[in-house]
Formats: sequence, C-alpha cells, structure tokens
Amino acid sequence: MNTPPPNSPAQMTITAQPLLSQNKKDARPLFMVLVILAFLATLTLLAVASGYRAAAGWHDNLDGTVTVQIKPNENTKQAEQAKTILSELPSVATVTILPSEHSKKLLQPWLGDAPLPDDLPLPVLLDVKLKTKQELNIKHVTSLLSAAGIRADIDDHSQWDEEIKRTTGAARVLSLLALALITIASVAASIFATRAGITGQRRLMDVLQQVGAPPSYTARLFSFRFAWSGFKAGAIGALAALLVSVLVGLLFSTSGGFSYFLPGLHLSLADIYLVITVPIILALIIALTSWQTVVKTLFDEIYP
Amino acid sequence: MNHQNARPDINNSHHIRSGNATANIQFDRVGFRYDRDGEILSDVSFSLPQGSMTFVTGPSGAGKSTLLKLIYLHMRPSRGLITLFGQDTSQIERASIPALKRRMGIVLQDFRLIEHLNVFENVALPLRVAGQKRANYQDDVLGLLKWVGLGARAHALPPTLSGGEKQRAAIARAVIAKPEILIADEPTGNVDDDIGHRLIRLFAELNRLGTTTIIATHNIALIPDGANILSIKNGHISGYISGVEIS
Repeated sequence: MNTPPPNSPAQMTITAQPLLSQNKKDARPLFMVLVILAFLATLTLLAVASGYRAAAGWHDNLDGTVTVQIKPNENTKQAEQAKTILSELPSVATVTILPSEHSKKLLQPWLGDAPLPDDLPLPVLLDVKLKTKQELNIKHVTSLLSAAGIRADIDDHSQWDEEIKRTTGAARVLSLLALALITIASVAASIFATRAGITGQRRLMDVLQQVGAPPSYTARLFSFRFAWSGFKAGAIGALAALLVSVLVGLLFSTSGGFSYFLPGLHLSLADIYLVITVPIILALIIALTSWQTVVKTLFDEIYP
Repeated sequence: MNHQNARPDINNSHHIRSGNATANIQFDRVGFRYDRDGEILSDVSFSLPQGSMTFVTGPSGAGKSTLLKLIYLHMRPSRGLITLFGQDTSQIERASIPALKRRMGIVLQDFRLIEHLNVFENVALPLRVAGQKRANYQDDVLGLLKWVGLGARAHALPPTLSGGEKQRAAIARAVIAKPEILIADEPTGNVDDDIGHRLIRLFAELNRLGTTTIIATHNIALIPDGANILSIKNGHISGYISGVEIS
C-alpha cells in the first residue's frame, strides 16, 4: 500500500503555537513584583478585617454595660441599697456587686503584688447590665442614688467607645490608603510590563496589524497573558500572606498579655474569601491596564 | 481572462479619468510629507482597475514605498484623495481599517515573519486572525506551502530559512486569505535574479486568479515584457508604460 509523502496535507499534523512567545527570563522580575504586591495587599486586607472584628468585639463588650462606683465610706450597706435601686429600673437587666478582690486587682499596676492593708478604703464596684437596646439615663440614676445618700460615679463607657471608634476610623483610613497605593503600584507595574512586552513583541504587533487584526485581538493576546501571570503571582502572594497571618496569630495567642492591647489576629472564613479575591482582583487590574496600554499604543503608533 | 492586460489610468495633469467604476485604487492629487520636510510624494494621480498588475519603479528614495504605505493604509496622505474599494480613505474610521486590511495582502522587503512561529503558523496568521478554525484551513495552508515550494518546510522556524524561502513564506501569508489587492514592496530585494524571476512569475500567477497586484521594484530587469509600469521620480509620477518591452 502506498503511503502519502510526509509533507502531504492529508498526513501532516501541525501543532498550534501560541502567538505570544514565552520569555520567562524577562517575565520573572515582574512576576516577583506582583507576588510582593499581592502579599502586601493580602496582609493589609487581613489586618483591616481583623481590626474591624476586634473593634466590634470591644464595642460589644462596652455597649450595654454601666459601671457604678460607690465611693469609700463607713456605710457598708450602701452597695446593697444601690443594687436595689438600680435593679428596679426598667432598662436594667442585672446588677452585680463585684467582690473587693476585683477593686484590689485594679490597683495592682500601681501598687504591685504586695498584700494591701485591710483598712485601705476601696470603692465598691457594681456591674450593671442593661436590657438589649436599652439605655440608662445617667442623670436620673445619679439623682436617685443621691436622694438615697449614696455618693457614686457612673461610667457608661461612652468615652472608651468613642476612643475605639476614632482609633478604628484612623486605622481604616490608613489601611485604605495602603490599599490604594498597592493598587496604583499594581497598575504602574502592569503598564511597565505591558510596554516592555510590546517592545519585545513589536514585530508581532506590526505583522498583526498588517494582516488586519483588530486592536481588540492584539490587546486580548497581551491582556490574557499578563492577567494569567498576575493571577498566578497573586495566588502565591496571597497564600504567603495567609500563612504569615496564621503564624502571627499563633504567636499572639501564645504571647499572653501582649494581645490584650492589640486586636486579636484570628482568621475567619471571611478572611479566606478575602484572600481568594486578591489574585482575581490583581488579574483584573492587570488585564484592564494591559488592554488599555496595547490599544493606546496601537492607535498612537500603528494606526495613524 | 488575463488580468495583467487591465490597464491603469494615469494623468499627470493631476486629474483622474472619470468613468472607472471598477477601480480598486485611485489617487487624486495626493501629496505626503513628514512634518515640515518637503513632500515625499507630490500631486500623484492614478487609477488601478480591478485585476490589474502594475509595477512601480524608480530609484531609491523616489517615493515607491511611501506610495505603497498610503495604499495599504499604513499612513494617511497630507493632502489629496485616496479611494480604496470605492471608499474615500479620509472618511474611514480607525476601527474600520483592520477590516479593509484583511482585503489586502502585503509583502514587505524584510519579510516580517514571526521568528518564534513556524512557517505554517506564519502563513496561517491572517486566517487565524480572521477567526477561522484550524481544521478548516490546515489543508489550504499546507497546499499553498506546497505550491510555493515550501511543502517540506512547514515546521521550520524562519531563522532556519534561506532568503528565497522567507520571501516565499511572506508571499504565501499575503495571499492565503485570497486578498483582492496584493501589494509587494521590493519583494525581490533580498534574493538573486533567478529566484527574483520565479517570484515575479508567482505574482503573475496570483494576478491571473483575479487579484489586483501592485509591485514596487527598482530592478527593472525583473519586470516581464508587456507589464504596466508606473515610474516615480522625486515624488512625482514621471512616466507610465503599458505593454512596452523593457530592455
């Protein structure tokens, strides 16, 4: 049986080649830049999310509670009296007289661990929990207690709540600023990379316009290539940041009081979603930027 | 039908003859200059009918390449009117240029082959860009490669090809999509006379299939007897020869 010659159309199979050449050596520096940007963006996002959660936790702890401090005096029954008065208020859920050990503990940072003399006058603290979405009229309560001859300070924690709001607001602005800078850096990096890619593939671009390829066709080639590269870099950077966050979270949880003053870095399911969005958003930014850059170059330089 | 006998209309008094309804390419008092320099082309007027084959000759720097660039819409004229396929090119929006370019095949002196793509992929590029499926064009491309003598070189990368092979690959790419106009700028510039003659015969074959062919060359020895010739000198059309034997 006669076989067709090797160059016969019927027999020859030609494997499709990608139009854009793969130059991994040239692409490596940009890839590293994108990994770092994704890493920083993910860390910032996780820190923001964690800060929000911690602030919300603090707010929840402070919201709905009032501390009543009865000044030291010889009448030991005043605390019980105050408890009765407060318990009768419609907005109050529970009133607890805190043991004197609690007041002593609060003095430890200033007086040290040495035992305190029994005759040291200490205020009595009452922890008042309010019913859900109820508020306490501080002036009214103060006048009720005064009428009963009880000298007391009432703290509804609003001062601390405001402080937390201010701090978290500042942190939010700083984090958004950091994210904006990272986004700008990503756009700049992808413009730079696309321009370098265009220079390296100039012959291909010239030939594509020569054979009548629409600018969108050429732009699609570049934006798909760069977007895929951005997605891979974003995934690596985001995973690295997630790993670092987990390690830092573990460190915080084992460092005792250190985390008492800082928001706890505990990851939640929402954080995983945030991490997943980073490579997707990075790829989209790069796709759009490189598309725009290629189309602009084509119209500016190739199509008169 | 021998389309080579379709004659271009030319008028050096700067007026195109009227009544050429089938003209593919018309120039009417076209001038071109870069910035403030003097005009590269000045008051060029001619009309090339559909199916004609025309050689543009002239010394280096005469304006041959500029003339071709204006035809294949690589540049826009500084003044005058160019009509392609019956459309005034000054009225064509940039977004419509690619579609017009797909109706033309272009062969340039430097071949413009993509070095990382093999001969098959280079030749198939216009079809790929036009969105055709590989299965639909593979046999056509391989058949054309065989016809231009590159059947055994389909897998070869351009850097491994000889000058003549590169030029034939570039010509195959220019004609694979069956363009209505074929434009070649010094297509024999990088090959010896023997291969040059073969390439010119190849263009003549393509012209016989109905493609309007316009070839710029400074080597008049390669122009076949009886060809239409447009001579350019210092940016002006200096002469037109039709059916005159060139010695």
